[in-house]
Amino acid sequence: MADGGVEDLLRALAPQVLGALVRRYGHFDTAEDATQEALLAAATRWPRAGLPDDPKAWLITVASRRLTDLLRAEQARRHRETVVAGRLPADRWLAPPADRPPDDADDSLILLFLCCHPSLPPAGQIALTLRAVGGLSTAEVARAFLVPEATMTRRITRAKQRIRDSGLPFALSAGAERAARLDAVLHVLYLIFNEGYASTAGERLHRTDLRAEAIRLARLLHRLTDDPEAAGLLALMLLTDARTPARTGPDGMLVPMAEQDRSRWRGEQIAEGTALVAAALPRGAAGPYQVQAAIAALHGEAPSVAATDWPQIVALYEVLLALQDNPVVRLNHAVAVAMTRGPRAGLALLDALAADRRVAEDPRRYAARAHLLELAGEADPARQAYLAAARRSMNLAQQRYLHARAARLG
Amino acid sequence: MKYLIMLYGTQQDYDVLAGRPSDRPPMSPEQIAAMHAHMESVHKELAESGELVDAQGLTAPVHARRVRLRGGAPVVTDGPYAETQEVLAGYTLVECAGFDRATEIAARFVNPEAEGEYVDVRPVLDGIAELQG
Repeated sequence: MADGGVEDLLRALAPQVLGALVRRYGHFDTAEDATQEALLAAATRWPRAGLPDDPKAWLITVASRRLTDLLRAEQARRHRETVVAGRLPADRWLAPPADRPPDDADDSLILLFLCCHPSLPPAGQIALTLRAVGGLSTAEVARAFLVPEATMTRRITRAKQRIRDSGLPFALSAGAERAARLDAVLHVLYLIFNEGYASTAGERLHRTDLRAEAIRLARLLHRLTDDPEAAGLLALMLLTDARTPARTGPDGMLVPMAEQDRSRWRGEQIAEGTALVAAALPRGAAGPYQVQAAIAALHGEAPSVAATDWPQIVALYEVLLALQDNPVVRLNHAVAVAMTRGPRAGLALLDALAADRRVAEDPRRYAARAHLLELAGEADPARQAYLAAARRSMNLAQQRYLHARAARLG
Repeated sequence: MKYLIMLYGTQQDYDVLAGRPSDRPPMSPEQIAAMHAHMESVHKELAESGELVDAQGLTAPVHARRVRLRGGAPVVTDGPYAETQEVLAGYTLVECAGFDRATEIAARFVNPEAEGEYVDVRPVLDGIAELQG
């Protein structure tokens, strides 16, 4: 079997193997180490010797043996503490009925919830999710985040120790607890996607694509939960990622959406994302990911800036602001208002934002002002605003773009 | 053994990269792309050889803060450097066989087109023991 095929198989099996081990033996942190070692053994052996008849069973057997070895070594070194799984009251978690065989889907989902537990710092949630659920090696995760491998190892170890010490049961939460935990998972996946989306050509991940990994995990979550916000997140990722081929200029400069060559957008991905959000929206009160996905879908299906359904986008931003009043959303809303009611209306909103400390000095507010002043035909104030935005930006590529726009105005 | 390779720049150098009009000739998108591609390929090689520990770029000197104490209270100065002052612009930390290898690596960071440009490479202390003995 080709190396790439083995790698994909191992990544898909990783959370199932870890889930089986933790369910059977507990010791989340040691089980995770044991699973990593089994995956490494398989990655070395299978391309040469061929696949075993039951790859998952092979991995579970090898990992179990390794876990036993590791636990024996730990026990010899220090007094073993028993972490009682029943710390959470019984009505806060539910275990499947005793006669039902454990479901692989449940295990992967439980694992995802564990790795994204709100008590972990975001960096730990992200690192652990990518390794334990994504099946990436520590080196791959380290390279993805441009940190030394030793740093990433420490981050993952600390996260695993927190989970071990928290006494969290290996089971699904119920009710409001589950909703909050699902929110945490969605947020982690969104952070992973954004990390991948923000990187330029010069920071491309070696072999593994962070954006693709976020999408893969979002698909898994969507399949396992059938939750509308999970569908919304997946849709948002697909719709955003679809624009990638048009996003970068020759010097690595980001091309704003209004100037992108839309023929380079990935039509299939836009169609898939649009279908997902269209199916999710009617299912009840829309959450923020669904609303953002709906906005992205409206952009995705517009053949040009002028042909975009701006009034609908304004309405959606207003729904979003009611859900999460966020200064960046306010900026985008102002620009959308400008596209429906004229630049002056948008400028009024942007000027009002000068009173919001979170965004008053943000280069993006100045850039949006500059853009709208340009649309209003005020060349000199627009030029000054572009220069003011460039002065506030720390991003060289962004500054090049802003200076170039200023230069165009004389 | 670890070595720190240090790259320098002035506010004016950053302005050229940012496209800010100045007396210095601007860099074209192709030149900038070539610079990024070269840096990416050097770091990729170092990652593959296992010699790369860490590498970061720093933002322009104007974004620096200088912190002092006056009467025991911190006093902050924004943008403490002059426009033409050379400051640290970025670093690459490598772990390799010896100083000569580190020097060989450092040479790859010097822009052949920029006359007089240089980088510094310094050995990193091995640990507290080297300080305290």
